[in-house]
This record gives sequence, structure tokens and C-alpha cells, in this order.
Amino acid sequence: MRKATWMMSRLGPALLFVLFTSASAWGQDPRLKINNLDKLSAKAAEVVDVTLDEPMLKLASKFMAGDEDSEDTEAFELIKDLKGVYVKSFEFDKEGEYSQADLDAIRSQLTTSSWSRMVGVISKHDGEISEIYMMTESGGKKVLGLAILAAEPKELTVVNIVGPIDIGKLSSLEGKMGIPKMGLEKDKKTKSSSGGQDAKK
Amino acid sequence: MKDLENELRKALERREPPPGFAKQVLARIKPAATPTPGWRGALFAFFRWPRLGWTAALVAACLLVTLGAVHYRRAQQERAEGEAAKKQVIEALHLASRKLNVTWRKVQETDRRPPRT
Repeated sequence: MRKATWMMSRLGPALLFVLFTSASAWGQDPRLKINNLDKLSAKAAEVVDVTLDEPMLKLASKFMAGDEDSEDTEAFELIKDLKGVYVKSFEFDKEGEYSQADLDAIRSQLTTSSWSRMVGVISKHDGEISEIYMMTESGGKKVLGLAILAAEPKELTVVNIVGPIDIGKLSSLEGKMGIPKMGLEKDKKTKSSSGGQDAKK
Repeated sequence: MKDLENELRKALERREPPPGFAKQVLARIKPAATPTPGWRGALFAFFRWPRLGWTAALVAACLLVTLGAVHYRRAQQERAEGEAAKKQVIEALHLASRKLNVTWRKVQETDRRPPRT
């Protein structure tokens, strides 16, 4: 009995430390849970659903690295250290197809201490929300993840990039890769992709 | 001397074999001449040169062709998956970049707006 008490007094703090560190590590997960938005696919006129985990990114970067195309090389430089890229974007024919609860489910994950909002534009008049969040290491030197939340009356987009991402380089990608810089004309076909597998609909 | 000659003549004189002698000899020779091979014999016969060489070459060729086909198929599959992943990466980065820039532009527009009084 005495031995058990002694062991508890010795192991207790160690156990608490392990629990604490694992809990903080859990809180530092830059991957957002965005699967709750899957239900919107049925209502959307256009869906972009990209789920690329580390192995798929490594595979993609292998093909980008071998390309002579300079834009592919730029994209390769951007993704080579990433752990995941997750995008869900929905375009609807009419307003009100997604709810505030759908948005709140994402935003509640971004209001934790691990994430910090870099930019946020909320236009109540137009019903638009554009927010950029970033998760950095405790020192703030290394970027662990990026989240972009863009909501318009007929459009909802969530971008979650896990890993060290250069925002300057990401921003400069627009207008490259054969994509015009402004006035992007998108085809209205439903596009859906998920790590080489069909997205859940 | 005469006796010896007679004895020799008697001993070496031609005699007819007993009836059925030839048959008996043939009956004894036949099994030795054509032995029926058992499974071991057949196995040993199979693994004897040059048949073994040809068989080994054929097996090796089949193995090479199969391995080549599997490798080619795997490479093709990997290439298709890689190209699909690359397409998705570019699509995702493009979307992220666009949304990032749209947000920046909105911030700039908000900054440029005169303050409400």
C-alpha cells in the first residue's frame, strides 16, 4: 500500500505532464474538420473538393519536380514541405443554401488560441465574410497552417493548408499556371476530387 | 595320352541344349533390357540436361515478362495518380491564391474608404 502511494506520488506528475503535452499537441493540430460541409454538395451548382494528404502531395510534387515548366516548379517549391491541402468550395444557384451553423462549425475551430486571424473582412451589407487565419509555432517563426474562410451569399469556400506555407508565394500564384489574374471564368460543371478518389456526395 | 584326348573330346563334344533353354534365357534378359521407370526415374529424367536448361530458360523468361508487366502497370498507375494529384494541387493552390488576393483587395478597399462620420 505504501509502495503504491509512493509510486502514485512519483508517477502522478509525470502522467499529468504527458496528458498536458498531448492535450496541447492536440490543440495545435492545424488540420480543420471540414467534413461537415459535405452535405452542401447536393445543393451546390459547382463543387471543388480537394483532399490531399502528405503521401498524395509527395506524389504530386514528384511529378512537378520533374517538369520543365517554371510554374510547376513554383508550385513544387510551395508544396514540397506541406502535410496536407484541403479545399471545399461550393457555388450555389440561389442564396441561403448554407447556414450560419455551417460557418460556425468552421469558425469555432479557428477561434482557439492556436490560430490567429491575420485578416478579416466582414460586410454585413453584402453578407460577405473573408477571413485569413494562420497557425504558427509558439515562437511565431514557423507557419504550421493556413486557413481561408470566404463566404458570400451564393458561395462558400474553406481552404486549409497544413504545413509551412509561404503566403507571399501563394498569393503570387494567381495569374500564373494558365489562369487569368482577374475575372476568372469558371465552367459550371461540378468538379469534385479527393486525393485520387471520388468525393463523397 | 590317348585317354586324355578322349576325355577332352568327350568334354568338348557338341551337345543340344535342353528344350525351352532359349525361352528361359530370353525371359531372364527381358526385364533388365526394358526397365519400367518409376516416378523417381521420371523426375530424374526430367531434371537431366538439356531438358532442365530449356525449362529453366522458359521459366526465367516467363518470370521476366510477368515482372515487367507488373512493373509497367504499377508505373502507369502511379503516373496517373501523380498527374491527378498534380491537377488537384494546382486547382487547390489556384483557389487558395484567388481567395487570398480577393481578401487582400477587400482589405485595401476598406482602408481606402473614407471614415463614416
